[in-house]
Amino acid sequence: MGVDTHEGLLSSDQDTILNAAVSDIKNKGFIVASADKLFNWARSGSLWPMSFGLACCAVEMMHAAASRYDMDRYGMLFRPSPRQADVMIVAGTLTNKMAPALRRVYDQMAEPRWVVSMGSCANGGGYYHYSYSVVRGCDRVVPVDVYVPGCPPTAEALIYGLLQLQKKIRRTATIAR
Amino acid sequence: MSETEIKPITMNFGPQHPAAHGVLRLVFEMDGEVIKRADPHIGLLHRGTEKLIENKTYLQALPYFDRLDYVSPMNQEHAWALSVERLLNIQVPRRGQYIRVLFCELGRILNHILNLTAFALDVGAMTPLLWGFEEREILLSFYERASGARFHAAYFRPGGVHQDIPEELLEDIMKWLNEFPSFINDLETLLTANRIFKQRTVDVGVVSKEDALNLGFSGPPLRASGHVWDLRKEQPYDVYPEMNFDIPVGKTGDCYARYLVRVEEMRQSCRIIEQCIKEIPKGKVLSNDAKMVPPSRKDMKGSMEALIQHFKLYTEGVHVPPAETYTAVEAPKGEFGVFLVSDGSNKPYRAKLRAPGFQFLAATEHMCKGHMLADAVAVIGSMDLVFGEIDR
Amino acid sequence: MENSPNEETSNFCSIIKNIIGKDVIDSKIDFEQFQVTVPAKQIYEVLTSLHSNSSFCFDQLIDITAIDFPDLSPRFEIVYLLLSTSTNKRLIVKIKVDEGELVRSCENIYKSANWSEREIWDMFGIFFSGHPDLRRLLTDYGFEGHPLRKDFPLTGRVQVKYDVDQNRVVYEPVKLIQEYRDFDFLSPWETSFGEIEKNEDSESDQS
Repeated sequence: MGVDTHEGLLSSDQDTILNAAVSDIKNKGFIVASADKLFNWARSGSLWPMSFGLACCAVEMMHAAASRYDMDRYGMLFRPSPRQADVMIVAGTLTNKMAPALRRVYDQMAEPRWVVSMGSCANGGGYYHYSYSVVRGCDRVVPVDVYVPGCPPTAEALIYGLLQLQKKIRRTATIAR
Repeated sequence: MSETEIKPITMNFGPQHPAAHGVLRLVFEMDGEVIKRADPHIGLLHRGTEKLIENKTYLQALPYFDRLDYVSPMNQEHAWALSVERLLNIQVPRRGQYIRVLFCELGRILNHILNLTAFALDVGAMTPLLWGFEEREILLSFYERASGARFHAAYFRPGGVHQDIPEELLEDIMKWLNEFPSFINDLETLLTANRIFKQRTVDVGVVSKEDALNLGFSGPPLRASGHVWDLRKEQPYDVYPEMNFDIPVGKTGDCYARYLVRVEEMRQSCRIIEQCIKEIPKGKVLSNDAKMVPPSRKDMKGSMEALIQHFKLYTEGVHVPPAETYTAVEAPKGEFGVFLVSDGSNKPYRAKLRAPGFQFLAATEHMCKGHMLADAVAVIGSMDLVFGEIDR
Repeated sequence: MENSPNEETSNFCSIIKNIIGKDVIDSKIDFEQFQVTVPAKQIYEVLTSLHSNSSFCFDQLIDITAIDFPDLSPRFEIVYLLLSTSTNKRLIVKIKVDEGELVRSCENIYKSANWSEREIWDMFGIFFSGHPDLRRLLTDYGFEGHPLRKDFPLTGRVQVKYDVDQNRVVYEPVKLIQEYRDFDFLSPWETSFGEIEKNEDSESDQS
């Protein structure tokens, strides 16, 4: 398929990679890429979140996935099952009663997996920090990669947090076990 | 051939489930595909709101109400504001009352859009969700322009509303209102006469009128069962006595009737909003009563007495004389009530929050018995459950 | 603050007193809402007569709640909120119970009492006899204590964390990183003035 190779229109990293690959194929017949970068491109480019909507932040998460702040254009497709998901977005207050269920769902996710803590209740207990039945931050139960602050964080803020997660994946994920 | 004993299987639905509408754990006992017993386990979002309210002043306790029914936050704030005003005998100025009714009805539309489109998603239709959420985004932008926050606004305060709305906001709401009925028409075109939707919702989860009253139903499910009861007409508050609107009442009491009642309520809310915008007077939005209401920021920066009053109100709060009262509003889901007990200090002694979804969920077993598992999903969707208010 | 009731409310009050009969211990009208106190042993009969009364049928039990007064005896006050949709009237029925006292469950009369009574058992520890299924509703499985009692601490007694060694979520005693700060501005002004006066008094005595 024809790819535009006008140098003046290059704007993003992906275009550079694609153009370099195509020109290599045309000239040499094969391309060479670093496996790390390739895997990270695949992992960050299609992060499938699992919806773990607990409270009010879940509605903002739905707004982030709906028509205006479409998450699907970033390759993020909500999967209901943990076995098919890459990232778990803990959206809302985590209570003592729910904590074992959260941990069980996290354990069912396959590696590589990441966790985004959304909202101040999931970050550190939030508005309900001093309550008797609230876990003061979901990082007491699961390891968290990105914290998105807000009560609730706007849909834009959540998308910003997910893009930061993508950057983190490109920076730190390796294929070493 | 030996006799085998057939035992019902116990099946767990939730707490993490795409159709569980938040955190609901339902344990079903099933005979094949048919449900024999349903036992909802709630409390997975129990955050201790009532205990926390007992340790905060009356104004600090207000934002907890936003987080109860988080799809239409301002309606719950309204109940708290009304109950504190009743105890302190504060009168809200007319403009404040009109703004409150306007935002209450916007909240009603917000709630019904989310409920109907999520219900359709559970039942299998994916398109209404995407159309509906764009409308919700526009409404959330109105909330943001009035109060500063998209969701949890803390806008309705005892004494009125926190700050006045810009004039352009009213014009924009009017413009939006002229186009909104076409969204409702699109939604109805997709769902109301749809054969698949009707097969999944007609005669599912039928509740008779007597049962609905006995089970403590209120709001759209009660009206869908045929009982005419709406707190906005029977025990009105703010400027509802002057509003012209009708109350849709259903006949059959099944999921389809609840759907139709909510769609028609959206249309009636549009009428109320239009009337509010046309009739809203000029004036103050927050009462003058110095006991509860802080002075304006300009005064606070100029005069010493205003500064001291501002300080005392925001730290110590107001001392409410000892009394008890139950105040209820017609929230989009049903009757949301606050039973407030004050003991003369600056903190509430006991605030019990009566959430409509609590009784709906308690009636799940009554509604799901004899139906199949997929119908349970339709019943839960039509009951409009939000766990923030059920679990508190 | 008690407003003087209007005539309609007074008529309503006398009708209700007639329906309940001799069981009325106390009654008052607060903000046009009629509250009536009845003995705890008679609550089932009172609610039955209110539910089955033909002219003033209270067809909905809106909610049941409880209030804890640790200094008073009896300690708890259980409040039944009733609504009559045919006549558009609300009524508040109260009973006073002590700790450990049994209350007869009203689930036969109003099915909406089922979960409300479960919640009161969970939050306050008041046992309802005759309830079909009285168990914990809102608090954790295996939670000890009754949270909404005034002697239960706000932050509770246990907290939750994930233990890597045991590979499961465990409970441990509560340890707050920052205590709940109560900015109680009622006291500092008063105590400082009191100390100043006390010092002046002692100085004037000595001189």
